[in-house]
Parts: sequence; C-alpha cells; structure tokens
Amino acid sequence: MTKVLDLWDIQGNVVRPYGRFGFPVARYLLLNVRDGRLGRQWLAGVIPRITTSATWDDAQGCIPKPVATLNMAINHAGFVALDVPNASLNSFPHEFTMGMRRRRDIIGDDGPSGPDYWDPVWRSTEAGKAVHILLTLNAQSPKAMAEQYDAIVQTLADSQGAVALLDGHLGQDGQLLPYQEGHLLWEHGLPTAKEHFGYTDGIGDPYFEGIADPRYRVEGRGKQMDDGTWEPLATGEFLLGHIDEAHEYPPAPEPVLFSRNGTYMVYRKLHQNVASFDTLLQREGEHYPGGPELLAAKFVGRWRDNGAPLVNAPDAKAKQAWDAQYAQASPEQRDAMLSDFVYDEDMSGARCPMSAHIRRLNPRASLEIKAGVCPGEFASDKGAFDTPGALANRRRVLRRGLPYGNSTERSSDAGNHGVIMMMLNADIGRQYEFIQQQWVNYGNDFREGNDKEVLLGNHHAFDPTCVVHAADPTGDAPPRFVRNIPRLVETRGGDYFFVPSLTALRLVARGLIDPT
Amino acid sequence: MSSNISGKAYALTMLCPIKPGVEGSAAFGDVLRDKLEAWNELRQSPMARVPNTYLCRYYILDDVYTQSLPGGGIWDTVSDIWPVLSKKSRLEALPCEEHLQSRYLVFTSNFHGDLDTYLQGMWLHAEHAVHNVWQYCYGFDKVTDADSFAAYAKLCQLDATLFFVGSNDDPLDEQLKALYIKQEFSRFAQTTQDLPAAQLRQAYREFMLRVKPRDITGPSWPAGAKNELTLQLIPAWTAAQKIVQQESTQP
Repeated sequence: MTKVLDLWDIQGNVVRPYGRFGFPVARYLLLNVRDGRLGRQWLAGVIPRITTSATWDDAQGCIPKPVATLNMAINHAGFVALDVPNASLNSFPHEFTMGMRRRRDIIGDDGPSGPDYWDPVWRSTEAGKAVHILLTLNAQSPKAMAEQYDAIVQTLADSQGAVALLDGHLGQDGQLLPYQEGHLLWEHGLPTAKEHFGYTDGIGDPYFEGIADPRYRVEGRGKQMDDGTWEPLATGEFLLGHIDEAHEYPPAPEPVLFSRNGTYMVYRKLHQNVASFDTLLQREGEHYPGGPELLAAKFVGRWRDNGAPLVNAPDAKAKQAWDAQYAQASPEQRDAMLSDFVYDEDMSGARCPMSAHIRRLNPRASLEIKAGVCPGEFASDKGAFDTPGALANRRRVLRRGLPYGNSTERSSDAGNHGVIMMMLNADIGRQYEFIQQQWVNYGNDFREGNDKEVLLGNHHAFDPTCVVHAADPTGDAPPRFVRNIPRLVETRGGDYFFVPSLTALRLVARGLIDPT
Repeated sequence: MSSNISGKAYALTMLCPIKPGVEGSAAFGDVLRDKLEAWNELRQSPMARVPNTYLCRYYILDDVYTQSLPGGGIWDTVSDIWPVLSKKSRLEALPCEEHLQSRYLVFTSNFHGDLDTYLQGMWLHAEHAVHNVWQYCYGFDKVTDADSFAAYAKLCQLDATLFFVGSNDDPLDEQLKALYIKQEFSRFAQTTQDLPAAQLRQAYREFMLRVKPRDITGPSWPAGAKNELTLQLIPAWTAAQKIVQQESTQP
C-alpha cells in the first residue's frame, strides 16, 4: 500500500468506528445556525476540539487517545446558513441538496418510516428549528461523555444565540431530549457488538487504501482480485479528492479545498420492531429445518451469537466445528474466519440466502452469476467483470454508529430502541441510495424479483413480503418460503450531511470558501 | 420482409405522415399526441383488445434532431490539418442540416402470427381507436375496411429488426396462461408449506381444478392489465383471489 492520507486533515470518524476503539457511549447533537457571521465565529472556536484521524500514541509529541471525541457534519441548509457561496452550494450533487426527507421515495421511507413518524427534532417547521449541523460525540465512559457534552453546550451558550442546540430527540420513556444517545449493548456485565435483534454487528466494514487498520483486515473487506487475493478499495470510494474504483475523482463540490478529504454521511435513526421480529422468528422458525436460530442466521448470513458466516457454517453441526476452531484461533485468524469468504461455492444461496443482509449489502463477487444446470441453480460466471467484485466495489459504504435505547421489554414494538446508523460514502446516489433502493428494497440483481432484504426492507402490511430460501440444487429438500414478513425496521429521522475536512471547516469558518 | 420475423413473432414498424391541418386551435399532430397521451389515463389501452399484441407503442415524430454539422470523413480531417481550401468553401461542402417534410405518427408493434391477420385484427377489435388515430394521416381517407387498412399499413411499413425481449413467440393467450399458472403456483407453494402429504395432495388436486392448466380461455391473466385495479375487473381473477385469501386464513 503506497497511499498516505492526510490523517490530520480527515475527521476521525472516517477512519475509526469509535465503538470498536473503546468508546462505548455516544451522543448525537443537532444544531441550528441563526446568524451566519457569529455562527462561523462559533465554528472557528470549535474546530480545535474536533477529533482528526491522526494516529493515537502515548509517545512524546504524539496525540494520545482522547477520553472523548467530537466530529461534525453539515447539511446543505447548514452551508447556506454559514454563508457558503452559491457557486459552491450549487456544485453539490442533487441528492445532497435535496436531503433525505425529499429523497424518501427513492430510499423507500414510506408508511411508518415516513417523515410524519420521525422524531420531532427532524419535523419542526418553525423558524430557527431546522437541522443544520450534526455533532457526534463518543466517549470512553459516561463521565467523559458528560464532560464533553457540557463543554460543547457551553460553546453554544457562548455563541450569543448564533448557534442553538435543537430539542426533540425521542428518549427511552417518550421524553424529548436535546441529544440522541447511543451506546454499546451490554451482556453479562460486558460490552458487546450486538444490536437489538441479537446479531453481532459491524464485522464487515470496508478496508480502503490509506486506512490505518492492520493489513490482515483487508481479507474479505477490501476488493477481490482475479487471482482471489484481496486489495484495499480505492480511497476515492470514501473520500472526495481521491481516485475511486473507476480511476476517476468522484463528483465533488467546488473548490477542491472545500471538498478534498471530506465525505458524505447518511445519518439514520432506525427503530427496531423487536416484538415483530421475535414473532416472525417464532412463527416461521417453528417448522424451519434447523429451527428459529438457523432462520435468524439466514436473515443476515451470520449466526447471531458470534457472527459466524453461513457460507462456512451452514448448519448447527458445521457451526459447532466452526466455534471449536474459533475458540482456538488467534485474533488475526478469528478476523479471517469472520470476514475472509466468498460465495463461489454458494452461488444458489442454499447456505447464505440471496436475501440475507450481508449478501445484499456486500455481494462480494456473487453478482458474476449465470443460470446453472438444475432448475433454480446458479453458477459463478467467472470473468464476467473486470474483477470479480467490480459491481460491488462501487457500492460500498463505511458504517458508523451505535445502538440506542434498551429493548428488555419485548412484548410490543413500541418504545425507543434501535440503531443510529451513519454511512459514509463519496457518492450518496451511487453508493448508499443505490444499495437501499436496488439491493435492500428490491431483489432483481440477485435474481429474486421484488423480494426485499428481510431486516431493512420496507415491507408493507397491505402486501407482506415473502422471501425464498433456496435449497441445495443437487439435494432433495424443497426451498423454504419465509412468509408475511412485517416491517422490522422503521426510520425515525435522518438527513444527508457532508463531513468536511479540517481545512474545509477552517475555510468555512473564515468565510473564505472561494469557488471562482 | 424476413427481417421483420423472428420465429412466430413479427415486428411491425409504420411511419405515417401527419397532415398539416388544424383542429380547433391545435395542429393535427398535437391533437393526435394529446389523444394518445390520454390513453395512459384509461384503465386499459384500446390495443389490449387486439389479439396477440405483445407490446406496441405509438409516438409522434416531430422532426429529426441535429446535434452538429456532420463531418466530411477523412478528407475533411486532412483539410483541417492542412487547410488548402478556405474555411468558407469547406463549410459549404459539408452536408446541410436536414428536416422532415412532415410530422409522422410512428406505430410499432410486436405480435404473434402473420402481418395480415394482425392488421385485420386491429380493424376488427379496435376500429374506433384506429379511426381516432389515423384520421390525421395522409392516405387514411381511402381506408374503408380491414383489407384496405392492411394495404394502407403496408404502404407505411418500414423494415424492423428489433424485438421485444420480454416475450417469447408463442400466442399471447398461452403466455398469459403460463404466467398465471406460475404466479398461482407460487402462491400455492407458499400457503401449503409444511402441510402433511395427504393434505398437500388434496390441496394440489383442488389447485389444479381451480387453475385449469389446459384451459387457455381461463382462468388467466387478461391482456393489457396495468395493475391490480384493472385485474379486479376480471371475474376469474377476483374469484381466484378469494380462494387464495380463504386458503391463507385457514388455521
């Protein structure tokens, strides 16, 4: 790897999912800018607090690991409020300019996911209540979080009313809070990587050129080459101003200093209908060969307890062997067991269904597909693309965020629990929106017609979705239908933000963005 | 023309010049376009009544589009590099910008069977629509019956080689019945999953009696159905849905 990134210029959440780096708690704050000049003054004061991607090291002259982090993202209206010139504003892609609410038809935020059901903070039409800036705070402890939060609130108080903290995030007991909390879920007194449906999350985050992760993590997370080896994805898939997988610079707002080392963030508060999920699992799992736990694994493509991939652990017996090997494995080997796999031996989806979460969101090389010999069988069409994963490589997103709320009471879907999902990509239309529209809410690329991804799909009560779990084409077992899938995840708010570089933030703060 | 034929499928393309007249305050071409656009608001296109239509399309061709002056080949390039001729004479030598002499109604259709049978079917099953559309075109005033319409259509016909890939070349009724069976069988498979063998056999027997696989006339999908709203008008479909609902609500 030759690429060296300007880590001091790139915001820290781009290269680090903080939850995995020992920051188990988060708060997400939404701000409104009421005075452009004073707002920029506030921004100038906050910039030194922003956490960069610079490597943490306790050695002298290095940046030690902080107890709390701060990152900032700004939406289109926010840049307007901060007096960024029109020529720059107009150079943003239309998805970003329109924002998530107006893109809801594309991404399928309908019915109970529609804006009418979003938290009040996203719905207010009052003057001075529009969302402009997102601050994301992560901390190593609740105490560090409280201190970081208080410090930020103090800067807002000092801004003479120029920048206001917005109220209206729905809290655990229905109260409205001035922030959205997030936290790792705990089991047996220990933090876990689980979410409210019980799945181990955050395993397959993309590996791109310049990232500081150990090289061995590229296996299964980067891009697969013709000889089967893995290389990092191009930086430009996740950072503007860098070459992407098409060997081009991704479209970016002007001037270059405004966009370079920045990226787009799709922020979504996703409520999880835990009772509906449990009921579906019980109802459809009752007669499912392998039982409800295998069915749960089929929804995602990984076993819930430790993330074992179904392609290598397709049933309970294989899972037992996998677990035994996993228990003896080194951290590096464990990482490979979780990530380093392809679907070449499972092109028909008999192990990991085509509708499974990990297959839909990262098909790897499995879109090189052709009809097989038996009815319903698919085979690998090696060489169909330039590289095995050429189509998937252009649709990857970095996933950040944490669960929120608690779901110990699971008898109804009500309450306030889910996941704050933040997806980072260089092109919202090509990456996030494409995945959501074509691979989550539609299944044609996977030869599944209208079948949606089970967990995130916008299933409708009036026409409930069914998915088919393929059987081994050479065996006698019939395929399985999973019927009447209700909507398991509902959107409760969100928007499209830009995560500027530190350089860009300094230019915005000085009012010196000059696109001419 | 053999290029219009692929197996038992036929691809028809007609370009019919539109007369320059005016109806009310609108030119014939605009009136015709408006009438055709209005078909989108109907529950069913009049063309759905024409037997064996796989896919057809009408549009008005206003003119040919010119993006830039076409080049003059290799000599033009040589002349650009080594301009022995003046710029004025080189520009004058380029082909001139071209336009159509009239607007055209373009009708394309992919269908099963031979051309004469299809065109006569258009007249027999959609005569009113045919009149409504082609009345604005040159030469249509000579059309009085199915045979003269077929003769007129052939005068306007161009060779075509493009076929609609969403269809094979079987008769439409057979294709619709096959789709109906496929979809109904999917529903059956879903609703009977996990039934004991004896019950499954019984349910399958009832299913076969209901869908009548060998009966092309029904139950089946209707031609030209746009959505479920249209389908609800079809008694066979509504009856089938009731049975599906009963089956799916049974404990």
